[in-house]
Amino acid sequence: MASSSTGRVVAVTGACTYLGGELLRRLEEDPRYRRVLALDIRPPALAPGGKTEFVKIDLTQPTIDGELATLLDRHAIDTLVHGAFLSHPTHASEWAHELEDVGTMHVLNACAGVEPRRLVLISTTLVYGAHPKNPNFLTKDAELRGHRDSRFVNDKVRAERQVQRFAREHPRVEVAILRFAPILGPTVSNMYTRFLSRPIAPVMMGHDPLMQFVHEQDAAYALQRAVESHASGAFNIVGKGVLPYTTVLALLGRVPLPMPQLIARQLTKVLWTTQLVGSPPSFLDFLLYLCVADGTKARRELGFSPRLSIKRTILDFLGIAAEDGATDVATAQA
Amino acid sequence: MTDDSDPPDPSGDDDWYGDADPRVPDASAWPDRDLRWLGDDVYLGEQAQIAAEHPEPPAEVTRDPAAEIREIERRLAQQRTPVFPIDLRRRLPLEGVWRRWRALAMWGRSDVVDDFGRDPRATARWEWLFEFLYSRWFRVETSGLEHIPSRGRALLVANHAGSLPYDSAMVMHAVRRDHPARRDVRPLVEDTVFHLPFLGPVMNRIGGVRADPENAERLLLKDELVAVFPEGEKGMGKLWKDRYRLQRFGRGGFVKLALRTGAPIIPVAVVGAEEAAPMLGKVTWFAKNIGIPWIPVTPTFPWLGPVGLLPLPSKWYVAFGAPIDLGRAHGPAAAEDRLLVNKLADQIRTQIQEMIEQLLGQRRSPVLPAFLG
Repeated sequence: MASSSTGRVVAVTGACTYLGGELLRRLEEDPRYRRVLALDIRPPALAPGGKTEFVKIDLTQPTIDGELATLLDRHAIDTLVHGAFLSHPTHASEWAHELEDVGTMHVLNACAGVEPRRLVLISTTLVYGAHPKNPNFLTKDAELRGHRDSRFVNDKVRAERQVQRFAREHPRVEVAILRFAPILGPTVSNMYTRFLSRPIAPVMMGHDPLMQFVHEQDAAYALQRAVESHASGAFNIVGKGVLPYTTVLALLGRVPLPMPQLIARQLTKVLWTTQLVGSPPSFLDFLLYLCVADGTKARRELGFSPRLSIKRTILDFLGIAAEDGATDVATAQA
Repeated sequence: MTDDSDPPDPSGDDDWYGDADPRVPDASAWPDRDLRWLGDDVYLGEQAQIAAEHPEPPAEVTRDPAAEIREIERRLAQQRTPVFPIDLRRRLPLEGVWRRWRALAMWGRSDVVDDFGRDPRATARWEWLFEFLYSRWFRVETSGLEHIPSRGRALLVANHAGSLPYDSAMVMHAVRRDHPARRDVRPLVEDTVFHLPFLGPVMNRIGGVRADPENAERLLLKDELVAVFPEGEKGMGKLWKDRYRLQRFGRGGFVKLALRTGAPIIPVAVVGAEEAAPMLGKVTWFAKNIGIPWIPVTPTFPWLGPVGLLPLPSKWYVAFGAPIDLGRAHGPAAAEDRLLVNKLADQIRTQIQEMIEQLLGQRRSPVLPAFLG
C-alpha cells in the first residue's frame, strides 16, 4: 500500500447500490487509492480493516450540502462519484424526487464550494427515452428527452441537466457522466432484472424493438475506468451487440404475452397502481421503440470496451454461463 | 460472408458495433474470430461450450484459479437475494419443459443480429417468398447489376410506388440473387411503414432500417449498400393517374449523405410496382386512428379484405444506372451548399425519370402492357 500522504481519496455516494459496492471493492484492492469514503444511509458490506470508511449521509436532508462540503474538505477528497440513484421505480415519488433531483443539487452545492478534481455521475441511457424518431444508435449528443410521464426517468434527466450546468460553470472540475445501458447480471438487481425474471413478459403486439444491455462486470469496470481516467463529458456505457426484445425473451425462456397497446397500458396502470408489478405504464414505451446508445466515445476516451456480448450477458443473467464453467466473468478486469 | 474480405475501416471503429459472429453474414471482421461459436448449442445451455469470446489480452482469457475463487467469494458475499431465474430453475420440476420451450421459442430466429437488427436466420426464412415474388409473380427483369460495386459503400436511389414496399424488397432480392458478390442491400424504410405493427419488425429483421440520416450515414461508413426512396410517403401515395411521375425528392438528404460519405449514387428505376397495386383513391378518414396516413383503395382492396393487399402480377423491370460520384465531383463541403444540393437532387430525379421512360418504352405488348411485359 502506498504511503499515507500520497494516493487518491475517493468518495462514493450511493455506496449500497450495485455499482457503488463494486466500485468500493475495486478501489479497496487498488493501492493507488489512499482512502475511500462510502456515503449512504446504511453501511455497505465492507471488508474489515480496509481503507474504506462508512459515513452516513442522507441526501434528502435539507442541510446535507454543508455537511458534505465539510466532509469533502476535511478528507481532501479529489474524486466524488455520485451514484445515489434508484434502480427501481418507486411509488414514493416525492422521496425519489428529493433523493435524485434535490440530492444531486446538494452534491453539486458541496462540490461548488470545495471543487474536487473530478466528479463522476452514474446515469442511465433511459434518459434518452424511447421515441419513434430515435436513430438506431443514440450518441452522447442526443437530446435527453426522458419520458413524458415517467418520474423515474425524469428525475434522472433533471439530475443530469444540473450536472451538465455545473460542468459548464466549473471548468476546473472534470465532470464525467456515465450513462449505463440497463445492467444485467447474476447479482445486480434493478428494474430490468426484475422485469425479465418473471416467467411471463408482456409484448406490445406487432412491435419488437432492439434492446441493449451491459453486463454487470463490464459496467463496474467502466465505472472504475471513469474514476481512474481524466476524460470528461458524457459517455454511453453499453454492451456489445443488440437483440430484438422477443429474442431476448426467447433466450431467457420467458413466455411472451402479446397485448394490444391500449389494453397493455390500462392493465399496467391498474397493476402498477395496485403495486402488483414493479414497472410503471410509461415503461411500455421501451417495449415499443428503440432506446439504444452508441458506446464508441467510451471506448475511445475512457478505454472501455465491453467484454461480453448481449447473448453472453443474458446467459450469465440466467446462470447458464456460470454453470458450464466459463470463467471469463471471474477473470474480468479486476 | 460477402464482406469478410473488405478492408477494415482505417479509423479502427468498424469492429465495435457488431458482434463478430460468423453467422452474421455482414459482420465486419473481428480480429482472430473464434469459429468455435459455430458449434455451440445455445438453446440447451447446459451443453453450451461457450468459448472465450474475444481474444483481447490472452492473459485475461487463461484461467486464473485465484481470480475464480475471488469471484465466487464475491458472489457469496454479495448478500443479495439470489436472482430469481436461477432460483426458479432449481426448484422447477419442469426444467425439461422449460428448456424445450426455449428451443421452440428460438425457432426461426438467430441469437445474434447485426447492429441494425437484421437477423440472418429470419432473412433465410423469408427467402422463398421473395424468390417466388421475384421470379414467378413479378417475373422481374434486372439490368445493369454490373454497376453495383462488389465492395465498398454505395447509395441506391430508386423510385417508389405501391402501398406496401414490394419495390424495396425486389431491389434487395435482385442484388442478393443476381449480383456476383451477392451483397445485401439495406433499404431505408419510412417511419409510417417501420412502425406499422407486425410489418415493421419483419422489415427490420430482414434488413430494413428506419429512414434516418444518422442511420444511413452509419451504414454507409460501414461500407454497406443502402437503398433510399427519396419520394418517401408521397411516392407510395401516388394515384393511378400520376403513375411513373416522380414526386419531389424529399429535401435532398440523400445528396448530402452521398457528399458527406463519398458514396457513389446508383440511380435505380423500378417499373411495374405501380401496376402491382394501382391506387385508385385514398381514404384519410379513420386512417389516422389506426396509425397510417391513408387507407388505399385499389381494384382489390378493401373489397377483398386482406387478400386485396396481395400485389397484382404485373411484369417488373429493374434497371440499375451507372454510378454518379458526387463526392469526387464536389467534395464533402458541398453538403452545406443548399442550392447545389437541391440542384443535384433534381438532376438525379430527372435521370431516374428518363430511365423509367426508357423502360416503359421497352414493354413489348401493346395490350395489357403492364401485365404481359
